[in-house]
Amino acid sequence: MLDAIQFSSWAEFFDMGGYGFNVWSVYALFAILIAVNLILPWRKKQRIVRQLKRRLTLDAEIQSEDDSNGE
Amino acid sequence: MWVWFSKLGSPKWFYELSGKWLPWLIAAMVIFMTIGLVWGLVFLPPDYQQGFTSRILIVHVAVAGTSLAFFPLMLVAGTITLVWRMKLADMVAKHAAILGAWFSFITLATGSLWGSVMWGTWWEWTDSRLVSMLFQLFLLLGVISLRSALEDSETAAKACALLSIVGCINVVVIKYSVEWWNTLHQVASPVSLDPSSPNGPQFWIATLIMIVAVYLFLSVSLILSTRNEILERERRSQWVQDLVMKS
Repeated sequence: MLDAIQFSSWAEFFDMGGYGFNVWSVYALFAILIAVNLILPWRKKQRIVRQLKRRLTLDAEIQSEDDSNGE
Repeated sequence: MWVWFSKLGSPKWFYELSGKWLPWLIAAMVIFMTIGLVWGLVFLPPDYQQGFTSRILIVHVAVAGTSLAFFPLMLVAGTITLVWRMKLADMVAKHAAILGAWFSFITLATGSLWGSVMWGTWWEWTDSRLVSMLFQLFLLLGVISLRSALEDSETAAKACALLSIVGCINVVVIKYSVEWWNTLHQVASPVSLDPSSPNGPQFWIATLIMIVAVYLFLSVSLILSTRNEILERERRSQWVQDLVMKS
């Protein structure tokens, strides 16, 4: 399996037979596509849950204050 | 069948079911993505004509091929929204347009990076494949801006369904453009089982793994966005509030 590795040094790996810029740019773009479209929805979910939780807790507190005032 | 169908339309049901699927989909995505990337970057031998730029193609072909799935998906979702009044389908269509625009853009960019060294040009206006893919990107950007401009969700769904029909016709044009007008973009390479052939299994199996990985990524991303949309739209309902308070 190790024989199938196409490179004998890191410099060769980054160079990609002279096409290093193009090959690595493509893989970088691919990584951006994946990272952005997974991280943004994930962070948005955290935000939605956090905000909704804060609002609901606040509502519950106001509710219980009203109840105690009413007595 | 109909019980199942109306259940599927219920955002709550979808949210619970997709929550069970997500870990498996993410695991499968990570596995395929890792195999595809390691194979593509470390083991894939250089092509006898293209050198290591063939490594660009396994990513480019996977993203480009998958980008053709968005308009058909949006047309199906749009039809379900309009005929069966299913809110869920509309949410999927909305996020499919955004993700589809990303895919189309990455297709054009990766194609340019390959073409700049192999064709000697970044862009060619006379090539039908390139121009029809650019048209798909603009159509999707049109759908996105239409949706944000139209307040009424019914009108927006109708307009987007109409644009999806145009988009689907364009998908057929993209697919067959290299055969109808043979200009610059090459046709798909024939598949060969012979390992010594330049089109041997090492290339197309690597491409196939990338295609599976990209489809899994598409599903995960679309499900995540749709779940967010459900949480936002249903934030007043009891089940969402219970869910949030438990987390």
